[in-house]
Amino acid sequence: MSDIVLELKGINKVFGQGDTRVQALDNVSFSVKRGEFLLIVGSSGSGKSTLLNMIGLLDRPSSGQVMIDGKNTTKLSDSKISEFRNSKLGFIFQFSNLMADLTILENVLLPRNIQRSDQNAYREATDLLKAVGLESQMNKRANKVSGGQAQRAAIARGLVNHPTIVLADEPTGNLDSVTAETIVQLMKSMAKKLNQTFIIVTHDRLQFGEVDRVITIKDGRAFEGEDMPPKMELTV
Amino acid sequence: MDYRVQLAKRMLSNKKGSLIGAVLAVSIGILVIHVNFVIFQGLYDAIVRDLSSYRFGDVLITDEESFITKSDTFLVGWFERIPYVEAATPRMQTSASINVTKSGKLIEEFRVPVIGVDPMRDPRVSTAYQTISDGQFVFSRNSIVIGSMVVDDLGGVRVGDSLKIKITDKRGEDQVRRFLVSGIVTSPGGQGLDSNLIMHIDALRDMLDRDGETGEILVKLNDPKKASDVKNYFLRTFPNDDFKAETIEESAEAALSGFRSGIAMINMIGYFGLMSSAFAVVTIQMMLVSSKTREVGVMRAIGAKRKDILIIFIVQGMMIGAMGAGIGTAMGLGYTFYAKETKMTFAGSIPLEVSYDWAKITQTAIMAFSLAVIASIYPSYKATKLQPVEAMRYV
Repeated sequence: MSDIVLELKGINKVFGQGDTRVQALDNVSFSVKRGEFLLIVGSSGSGKSTLLNMIGLLDRPSSGQVMIDGKNTTKLSDSKISEFRNSKLGFIFQFSNLMADLTILENVLLPRNIQRSDQNAYREATDLLKAVGLESQMNKRANKVSGGQAQRAAIARGLVNHPTIVLADEPTGNLDSVTAETIVQLMKSMAKKLNQTFIIVTHDRLQFGEVDRVITIKDGRAFEGEDMPPKMELTV
Repeated sequence: MDYRVQLAKRMLSNKKGSLIGAVLAVSIGILVIHVNFVIFQGLYDAIVRDLSSYRFGDVLITDEESFITKSDTFLVGWFERIPYVEAATPRMQTSASINVTKSGKLIEEFRVPVIGVDPMRDPRVSTAYQTISDGQFVFSRNSIVIGSMVVDDLGGVRVGDSLKIKITDKRGEDQVRRFLVSGIVTSPGGQGLDSNLIMHIDALRDMLDRDGETGEILVKLNDPKKASDVKNYFLRTFPNDDFKAETIEESAEAALSGFRSGIAMINMIGYFGLMSSAFAVVTIQMMLVSSKTREVGVMRAIGAKRKDILIIFIVQGMMIGAMGAGIGTAMGLGYTFYAKETKMTFAGSIPLEVSYDWAKITQTAIMAFSLAVIASIYPSYKATKLQPVEAMRYV
């Protein structure tokens, strides 16, 4: 099994045309190794969420390739992309985005249900909920728990399918500082325990403390590290 | 349970207002069709019932040209040997003149249809004798029963009065005879014999000078569905007698054809009602989809395919359709039961012939269910078109 789980090759994303044309991503290329805890940082409007959408296969690049587990995803059909998202990626969103109509447990089981993978799903989901400290809340409706608890549930949901990469978009952006710190520690511990790759988009670098790696996005371009000298710009 | 069905169920049950609105739209559509059916089909069937009972029987035998010359006793006996036939009776029809006088002075002379009946056989075939509101049915050759409308025209004839009737016989000569008024008939709905005179068939034969002849034979069946079989059997048995045989639908065609097209029109209005309920389902489903845009985005992000989203919303349409069809049918059956038990009348006169038409009830329920499912296709399709990245921006 290759150590590289994600490889971006010359990703460009352009929105609009003519006078309204915006180059949201400009020739972004980098790769991510299995088990890395990677932060993508940048100011508001820099293109970091657009980049996460490309990695999460939620949007297609105007040009370039997104390779996940060695597979080029650019030409996949909508149906195959859905399968790919389900089996290879886990998502944690800023607002947790749990399904309000389902319980916490049902939310965590949802990716497995979509996958039609019943084997051990219940046990694994409850184990994950135990691991994130929600054992006693699992039968509550998603809209009846606090923001921090919902985000913990979202982490469990992101991990339940044993994804290759967990993508988190501002996962602490909607939480108070104490809860945010708990969530960060939880993600770090899960990453370590499961040797799980995490790619986290945040505008709050300090919140995450020491991490394996940081990529900074500025004006749609990606730079390794937190400083952005021109010589450090990433190329393929 | 499949997660899509579970999700569809939860989404609906958490939107009770929308659910109740959509289910009510479907069920009221069905109720309107049931009410239409009870009233208008009930009225139609009541008219058929009354025409059959008072005037035509289930099968009506006449002569193509004039009067039946074959013995009525023979024909009645022939019919009554058929197992499907309950009874048969001869009748004769013509018109008579009656004078309206005041203080011995002639005020008006008008013509009235006259029916000659066999007082022994007729009650076995027709319920005309049950419409006697005063006095008794024809019991002898000199007794006569008058319709309530004729009584009004004559200015208040009563039972026991005598009435002079003038009939023109087959040679064109006027025959005048006095009759004792034995009864007055009053029937609801206007299909009865309220505008007729009813006399003994032999008295009428005498006056017409048509001894041994018969105007028509009314045949009552145990099972009215066998009318065509009996009719065809009769015509095959007597191919050379110039007989004309008609089922009730054929003999009452003139009276029923206009009514039938009226019912078709009213049924159409009912089905349009059902279709408008489908539009209500479309609107409510669109609102449901719109309120779940973010959830659809999340589901798509975590791997649900377009067809999974489609199934969730189609299942919602099926649930709305099933609940609407169930509740609407229950309400419709409740109304039908009420109409039947209370012997509902139309405009306070003719008692409706209320029946449970299970084929139509099933067809209406299936149609309502199907329309609800069809109505949910477009909103479901719209939901599948939501791009996850766009849907997730939706708050």
